[in-house]
Amino acid sequence: MRKVLPDIGFSLLVLLVQTGVVRFLSIGGIVPDLVLLWVVAMAIRRGQIPATTAGFLLGLAQDILSGDGMLGLSALTKTLAGFIAGYFYNENKTLQTMGSYRILLIAGLVSLVHDGLYFLLFLQGSGISWSGSLLDYGVPTTVYTLAVALIPMFAFARKQLA
Amino acid sequence: MVKRLYDIVLLFKEYFVVALFLLVSTALLTFSDTPQIRTLRAYSVVAVGLLQDAFSIFPNYFDLRRENAALRSMNLTLADEVSRLREGRLENIRLRSLLGLKERAEHRYIAANVVAKNLQLLRNTITLDVGSNDSVKVNMPIVNEAGLVGKVIMVGSSYCIGQTLLHVDLRVSAKVQRSRVDGILRWDRARTLTLQNVARTYDVTPGDVVITSDYSPFFPEGIRIGVVAETRPIPGSLFQAVDVTPAVDFPSLEEVFVMQYLLDSSRVFLERSAR
Repeated sequence: MRKVLPDIGFSLLVLLVQTGVVRFLSIGGIVPDLVLLWVVAMAIRRGQIPATTAGFLLGLAQDILSGDGMLGLSALTKTLAGFIAGYFYNENKTLQTMGSYRILLIAGLVSLVHDGLYFLLFLQGSGISWSGSLLDYGVPTTVYTLAVALIPMFAFARKQLA
Repeated sequence: MVKRLYDIVLLFKEYFVVALFLLVSTALLTFSDTPQIRTLRAYSVVAVGLLQDAFSIFPNYFDLRRENAALRSMNLTLADEVSRLREGRLENIRLRSLLGLKERAEHRYIAANVVAKNLQLLRNTITLDVGSNDSVKVNMPIVNEAGLVGKVIMVGSSYCIGQTLLHVDLRVSAKVQRSRVDGILRWDRARTLTLQNVARTYDVTPGDVVITSDYSPFFPEGIRIGVVAETRPIPGSLFQAVDVTPAVDFPSLEEVFVMQYLLDSSRVFLERSAR
């Protein structure tokens, strides 16, 4: 329980920042996906089941808060993101993964899969190209999310050295 | 046994968790009525249709026996009706030639099997195993031996999707066969259809047959739609609500015909120009 409560608190904080503050960091309409980054971090630190659960609950909360009419879309994509990221969980190498380029590789891969699936469903019937949207929005979002991921990566790297 | 099941769940718990969450997310998604979900729904209907089509090669013996009995009985009734209609047709030809009226065109029918049905929603559709390869086009009427089923709304190469009368977006110009009273027929999620725009003073009584009218841009005149079940005056209005029981039994719908009928483009052009 002691482990879970801080995670729940931080999850709520990430959700608040993502829905309220992140839009001020927008570059050309592109914003980092902090919720996804947190789900990946959960997967590396806690494992596949907590990450999948966090992905579902945070995604569902995002769906409710965004109110774009597709309730369940973020829940579905973030559940899968947490599940995929969970494959990279190694109890003995949590700090090493969080403090090295590996976190960037995992977050990048998961973000691309997440955005790919998100756009595949979101663009149905719209006539807008999936690959074009992925290149125009998915890839920049991934890059921006990875740029933000550098902050925890360096923090964990320092912790490792200390 | 329970212990073994428990062990299996424990062994694959990650997969059970992800499956549960994916199931809940998908269920939530299906409740939305956005254009994206409608498109996905159409794809899934076609996919289910393909599966059902593949499995339909295994006939059900008891169903076939029941169907044969029903067909024999219907054949008898129809043979009698055909004989009477032949007489009527000959009389009609004679009278029409006397009055100098134009002969109505006959339509070709494309036989189709219903390979998927969606009858639980506000927008109920059926998937048929005929498509553009069989000359099916959007807006062609769908009928069966009982009467009007709906119209084609999407066409693929080998499959098409039909909008049934039980679809909130479909409106049909209809008339009461006996008294020739016109109205607009629609489904408003009730068990019956409703004929609207019928003045209280017009002569409509329960048991009257309702057919398509020639004002319809999609359907030829004279297709049976159903029977008037009840008429109710609308409070505070000059109109009455006419409840119509559809002639077609949608839950048991299996074979239909796509009518190769599209409205004469010159009529459409003329009507649009006049607006």
